[in-house]
Amino acid sequence: MTKTYPKASRPSLDNVSVAIEKGEFVFFIGPSGSGKSTIIKMLLHEVAPNKGRVVVNGKDVTSMRSWKRPAFRRSIGCVFQDFRLLPNRTAYENVAFALEVIGKTKAVARRVVPEVLELVGLGGKEHRYPHELSGGEQQRVAVARAFVNRPLILLADEPTGNLDPDTSIEIMRLLDRINRTGTTVVMVTHDSNIVNQMRRRVVEIESGRIVRDQARGVYG
Amino acid sequence: MRMKYVLTEVMVGLWRNVTMTIAMIITMTVSLFLLGFSGLLYQKVGDMKDLYYENVEVSIFLDTEVSAEERTELEAKLKNDPLVKESTYVDKKEAYERFQEMYKDAPDLVNAVKADQLPESFRLKLVNPEQYKNIYDQYKDTGGVEEIVDQSKLLDKVFNVLTGIQNFTLFISVVMAAAALLLVANTIQVAAYSKRREVAVMKLVGASNWFIQAPFVLEAVVAGLMGAVLALGWLVVGKYLLGSGSMASLEGLITPISWSEIFLMFPIIAGIGSLVTAITAWVTLRFYLRV
Repeated sequence: MTKTYPKASRPSLDNVSVAIEKGEFVFFIGPSGSGKSTIIKMLLHEVAPNKGRVVVNGKDVTSMRSWKRPAFRRSIGCVFQDFRLLPNRTAYENVAFALEVIGKTKAVARRVVPEVLELVGLGGKEHRYPHELSGGEQQRVAVARAFVNRPLILLADEPTGNLDPDTSIEIMRLLDRINRTGTTVVMVTHDSNIVNQMRRRVVEIESGRIVRDQARGVYG
Repeated sequence: MRMKYVLTEVMVGLWRNVTMTIAMIITMTVSLFLLGFSGLLYQKVGDMKDLYYENVEVSIFLDTEVSAEERTELEAKLKNDPLVKESTYVDKKEAYERFQEMYKDAPDLVNAVKADQLPESFRLKLVNPEQYKNIYDQYKDTGGVEEIVDQSKLLDKVFNVLTGIQNFTLFISVVMAAAALLLVANTIQVAAYSKRREVAVMKLVGASNWFIQAPFVLEAVVAGLMGAVLALGWLVVGKYLLGSGSMASLEGLITPISWSEIFLMFPIIAGIGSLVTAITAWVTLRFYLRV
């Protein structure tokens, strides 16, 4: 597929074609502005390609109407560099919020949320506010929120970008554990350390083109 | 739980921005009050037109030296005129009786006028009172006719004034409504901005569009409904003032406004108030939230 943003001199993604299997763990690497984040946005149905198709979970989302987007997004979890937690809600409330706004009852939240917070290693810190948690812990809350709905796909856009190396590795272990439950993980990063340690599939993008697609790859 | 969530959000939203909420409610109140007032006036003018035009007459006064042939000819013509519903002949004696009756409070005037000084006349009821002009053109040169007087001309002046007041209040109401809607749009923008993080998360995890928008739209609708309730209050107070205060003398002229008419106005202003604010809020969100 190809995506050109208005006013851009060259396409952000130029004739890119990638297939990601169910249950895979894929890194998208490359320098800033290479088009990695555009891929995430397309998978989220935030932007549409100018040419080509985007198929997610067997559904062609290229021509999906915007009113179907909410239901589509419920099958995808998302983690970002800046965590995107709600500062006036506790860890528990942040995760529960994601359930409640898609119509789950409080009873469901009471059952599921402690479970997932335990899974990400935040047992006992449910009632802390984001500012009372370290960066790594905040990202764990974000992962818990992305995973609480048991999505088929977890998208991670530079999830370790704001974290120190040790904390980054912990987050990666967490994502790896989630991947082992059968969830497909797509991660955009330029953290070479992590990519080298994980030894998973690496797709390298440069100036909107795929220059490398390697199973069990390393960074550059 | 969803309903409770939405209602809590609405109340928190209105309270967070309370000065704006008050401004919104005040402009809404004034606008809806004027709308209600204008609506009531419209009804009243309609009622009064029915009432007065029903009794309105065109009078054809005859020359004092009119001949008997001219009179019978005119009478026959009027009988066969399709524009005329009924015509009554009033002779000098009857005219004098009417005159005495009309000015019984001024005996000096009655005494000064002799019975045969008053002209004979035909009193006409028209099929359509607005066709006076045709009657006038048709009969003004007929032999023996002195003058043609249309009472509805007088009424028209009164109704023109009332319709003018009605149009003016409607105009002010629309201007106030425009101000109110701008405030609604602004309030919604402020509310959406202060909840931008929540909205971003909701969009991300796949909350439905109505669920994201409902608190904002309801916030505007609640303000609109409060405005409607206050406007109803003003109309009630207005009726008291009209009934008891300096306006009481108008009671005879204007057919009285009943309580049921005022309370029937409420669903109209409440409906318009909430519908218009809801649409404004929704459109604002379309632009501002892009959901």
